[in-house]
Amino acid sequence: MVADDDLTAALTALRAVGRRSSVARTLQGDVEARLLQSIVDATVSLFDAEACSIALHETDPDRLEFRVAAGAQGAGAVGLVVKTNEGIAGYVFSTGQGLSMTDVASDPRFDLEAAERTGYVPRSIATVPLLDDEGSIGVLQLLDKRGSPSFSLRDMELLAIFARQATTAITAARVQRDTVRLLREVLRQIADESMTDEQVEDVVSKATEGLDDDPDAGPFWRLVDHVALMRGLGERDINLIGEILEVVARHAQRARRRA
Amino acid sequence: MSGLDLPAWSEPFSNIAGLARRMRLRGISRDWAWGGSTGKGIRVGIIDSGLEVNHPRLAGRVVESVAVELDDEDAHVVPDDGKDLYGHATACGGIIVGMAPDVELVSVRVLGADLRGKGAAFAAGLEWAIDQGIDVLNLSLSSKSETLFPVLHDLVDRAYFKRIVLVSAANNVPAASYPSLFSSVLSVAAHGEPDPLRLYYNTAPPVEFGAWGVDVPMAWKDGGSTVATGNSFAAPHVAAMVALILSKHPGLTPFEVKAVLAAVADNPR
Repeated sequence: MVADDDLTAALTALRAVGRRSSVARTLQGDVEARLLQSIVDATVSLFDAEACSIALHETDPDRLEFRVAAGAQGAGAVGLVVKTNEGIAGYVFSTGQGLSMTDVASDPRFDLEAAERTGYVPRSIATVPLLDDEGSIGVLQLLDKRGSPSFSLRDMELLAIFARQATTAITAARVQRDTVRLLREVLRQIADESMTDEQVEDVVSKATEGLDDDPDAGPFWRLVDHVALMRGLGERDINLIGEILEVVARHAQRARRRA
Repeated sequence: MSGLDLPAWSEPFSNIAGLARRMRLRGISRDWAWGGSTGKGIRVGIIDSGLEVNHPRLAGRVVESVAVELDDEDAHVVPDDGKDLYGHATACGGIIVGMAPDVELVSVRVLGADLRGKGAAFAAGLEWAIDQGIDVLNLSLSSKSETLFPVLHDLVDRAYFKRIVLVSAANNVPAASYPSLFSSVLSVAAHGEPDPLRLYYNTAPPVEFGAWGVDVPMAWKDGGSTVATGNSFAAPHVAAMVALILSKHPGLTPFEVKAVLAAVADNPR
């Protein structure tokens, strides 16, 4: 069994790790989403397709979650969750092999069901994997190219290039996204036989509890948010904000002296 | 290894004029190679998502179904339930039975909820099939894992010298993956001419043969059918041709089978 002092020290350390990764996520998460959105926007317009979307792999339970979408028929896909062991998206994700299907609506019931949940049943689907060095991290899916009943070999190749862009954007923020999993794996290795799975889960959940909405750290996180926002501003805007802050600071000092 | 270093997978087969060959083996015709053959006596293993044994397009030709189970690091091969999780294996099996109606199919499922394309499961399934001495193996999957490189290399060599022909689909994205890049397998990419027997031989790497893989009508899950595109649907066309050849000429080595295919390919002269 792990001693109580050790556990407290471990919790503190883990919490610090969690905090740092949470800051990183705050800074990068938005950028990641915007990049992914720009990729699906570009893909749907280049192919003149009805919809384009990106699904990312999540664990516990194993699933693919559609994060961003574009195109006239794309909106319904965001938030859709599909299993990794069924459907076209599941196959492409599991095997790392892209494929395209025509005549989708005519039979394969498995994907039809998912399609109906999005409010749009496509005639054709092209799906390619998002592959990083470790394997698949998700899929990019394109529905119905206007003016063509199916996707050509060239289409599939082009789509793979967009998928590579998306993968690069995602892997940049991946480490932060997977903090919890990372904590769990590290703890299991360190604890070896001395902790049960339940104890590991307990420590992980204590360490990461409320990280995203920690009330006592409010002003600090608001500052982090604003710094993150400022990164998107131009040099002139940042100089202007700097000057305003300087005036405010001087005013505050004078007010204090008077008091 | 960067995928961008490799030519795109479909490139050679979308410019047929570039495949012109002046030299080729003479005296080997398609009629000699497989005329009158139905694939009788040949077993073809489908290493994929599991065959749906009752699918009408498989016409009762599935003689055995197994699945790989991973238990920590150990892989076990166990009897399977004859279902297809995705439809992909059944699509491949249907293409083969459509061209070689008397083959016997063996289903080797290496995908599933807990397998998720794990290279170890793929390697274990491949090893089992080689140990069984199944004549032709259709591999629509490949692995880009560098760790598996030596394992797969040993396995395909073992198959080669056991006279087992491995037909391996090239990856659909231009990236290095194994075993399709090993020279002892028959690597296949797609062309778009709607003819199951239309075959091209490409002397330049990474892909040696081109077969129909664009808008191919095929069997799919739950007794269904669909039309799909991908290198993995080109590979079974070649696997079927190999089964037809081996049925008519038992005992040919993988090297000889390749030579026959190159000789009867549709490359312009």
